[in-house]
Amino acid sequence: MGNGMQTETEKEVGKEFEKEFEKIGTENIADRKKEAGAEIEMKTPPEKTGDVIIEGIDIVRTFRMGEVQVRALRGVSVKILHGEFIAIMGPSGSGKTTLLNQLGLLDTPNSGKVIINGIDTSLMSDKEKGKFRLHNLGYVFQDYALLPELNASENVYISLMMQGRSKAEYESAAAEILAAVGLGDRLAQLPSKMSGGQQQRVSIARALAHKPIILFADEPCANLDSQTSKEVLDLFKKFNKEYGQTIVMVTHEDWHAAYTDRVIRLKDGMLE
Amino acid sequence: MLEKAKVSFFLAGRSITRGNKGITIFTVFVLTLIFLQLVLFSSMLAGVTLKFNELMVDFQTGNVVVEPKEEERYIEGASALQKKIESLPQVVGTSARLKTSGNFRYKEKEMGATVYGIDPGDETFVTGLEDAVISGEFLSRPDRGEVILGREVSGGYGALMESRSLGGVEVGDTVELTISGKTREFRVKGIYSTLFFMADAGAYISRADMEEMLGVEDLDLAHEIAVKTTEGTDEYETRTALLSLGIRENIRTWHEFAGILRLIENTLGLVRNIMNAIGLLIAFVIIFVVIYVNIVNKKRQIGVQKAIGIEQNVIVLSFVLQAMLYAGTGVILGYCFMRFGLAPYTVAHPVQIPLGEMSLKFDDAEAINRAVLLFLASIVGSVIPAYKLAEKDLLDLIWGK
Repeated sequence: MGNGMQTETEKEVGKEFEKEFEKIGTENIADRKKEAGAEIEMKTPPEKTGDVIIEGIDIVRTFRMGEVQVRALRGVSVKILHGEFIAIMGPSGSGKTTLLNQLGLLDTPNSGKVIINGIDTSLMSDKEKGKFRLHNLGYVFQDYALLPELNASENVYISLMMQGRSKAEYESAAAEILAAVGLGDRLAQLPSKMSGGQQQRVSIARALAHKPIILFADEPCANLDSQTSKEVLDLFKKFNKEYGQTIVMVTHEDWHAAYTDRVIRLKDGMLE
Repeated sequence: MLEKAKVSFFLAGRSITRGNKGITIFTVFVLTLIFLQLVLFSSMLAGVTLKFNELMVDFQTGNVVVEPKEEERYIEGASALQKKIESLPQVVGTSARLKTSGNFRYKEKEMGATVYGIDPGDETFVTGLEDAVISGEFLSRPDRGEVILGREVSGGYGALMESRSLGGVEVGDTVELTISGKTREFRVKGIYSTLFFMADAGAYISRADMEEMLGVEDLDLAHEIAVKTTEGTDEYETRTALLSLGIRENIRTWHEFAGILRLIENTLGLVRNIMNAIGLLIAFVIIFVVIYVNIVNKKRQIGVQKAIGIEQNVIVLSFVLQAMLYAGTGVILGYCFMRFGLAPYTVAHPVQIPLGEMSLKFDDAEAINRAVLLFLASIVGSVIPAYKLAEKDLLDLIWGK
């Protein structure tokens, strides 16, 4: 079901979500601290669109493949502003996904720093990073990465559950965001009963359910046909434009990049 | 803390209800079998022990045995003492016996055996020997010069120590019996088999014959008085009751005669413990393998869970909970099968073993003990692989490395 085919109910629920989502940009530091937990401090909140929300400083990432050392990133520095929709592009092996993983705290650079919202994440332990991701970051993976034993709603609210929200809270939040992505009538559907496009929309709903400060998407349309890819990118654009959601997306398609505000191009592990 | 446990329960529950049903059924089935193996052997052993004890009571000692006072050879005034004992309401019957070792001779073969001089009427109230006669007849009061032989003495009838026996004496044959230097011929009136080798290695003649051979005619003496009590009466209470009657003789319960049985029981107990240890090891390995295979197939899922912020210990706990649920279901199914199926079935339809008919004796305390051990094995068997994999690098998990 595409966005254009949303029912009236879904539109209403979507509006409610919209109101909720608009609060994100204006949230104060105290709220953020509460959500993130005491040990994860948010030093500089994203006060308005245009503030630097994430900064990568001289990131170096080297992998060992057998006897060979592969330098995936060779000192990359990037700045992403609050509310930006960024595309990371480059040829295969240029380090796009590696950069996304460093910025998204899924991996740790060999050297360099990632500062999110003023917090130097290199000082965090793995456990702290996990907590930070739970409260502040959202992810959309190329192959949706839904948990097959959970239905759409459960896949979306599992992270809210982990945050300790009440049943009523997480269930309604999941229903709202699923309605907002056009899946209001598929709450109890298992991933195996959904099309690729629907699964990716559940994945987007999961990534946005806890209202992250940054959404990371690693080639979210790689497994989708053009029409479904368009629907997914429209969704990204909607959340970016209407709710000010910061999005960092890896893609290798120029027409995908056309949806974004800015393109970071990589070649051989360096900025082009 | 509670929220985290809630997420673990949630993930475990969904994994079981929506995961591969075949794997779940197989795992539970295997754990049920392991639990059965753990309790079945114990129940069989308990059944065998019970059978040994029953045989001892039913065919040899009765529940309590009264013996002569210290440093005396005989109980004097045996008839009067019998009457005194029989005055107790819980006493079903008593049998005053003269007991000595004798030497039997038949054709070329000779063997020693314990010979009892009994009053056949009294003996019937105490032991089941009359019903154990497999050839010929049991003794009757007026019988003289007749003997009842156990199958280990007569030989044949499936005797365990055939070569030691008289080598196939039949009813109607005449055997020579020598006691205290006196030799007399006895006609074999019957051959009995209790399937209990200790009882089957004896022989019974009338008290009158025995008194004559021992030279104690009309003295009303006995070497022992076997006492049979009503079903369920505690032997130690009977002993106390007998003592309160003022009986000065030595009173022993059947337990004190069961030395060799204790030895056998202890040996079997050792074997049982070894079997239990092996069973638990198998349980541990199976749980380990099942959880490991389960986790390896879910590497990427674990990676995704970690990526979205689900804590490692929550993920590990979800797998441990699954294993515990498998083990719990296996234990419950195994318990129900034993408690309400197999054990009652063997009571209604006893299993034929060389000792006779045996039923499983299912002990709840033992079952709980095995259930706890199986649970512990399931926890350890799941924690190790779950922890090892959940600890892996996030990207390695996501990439399925």
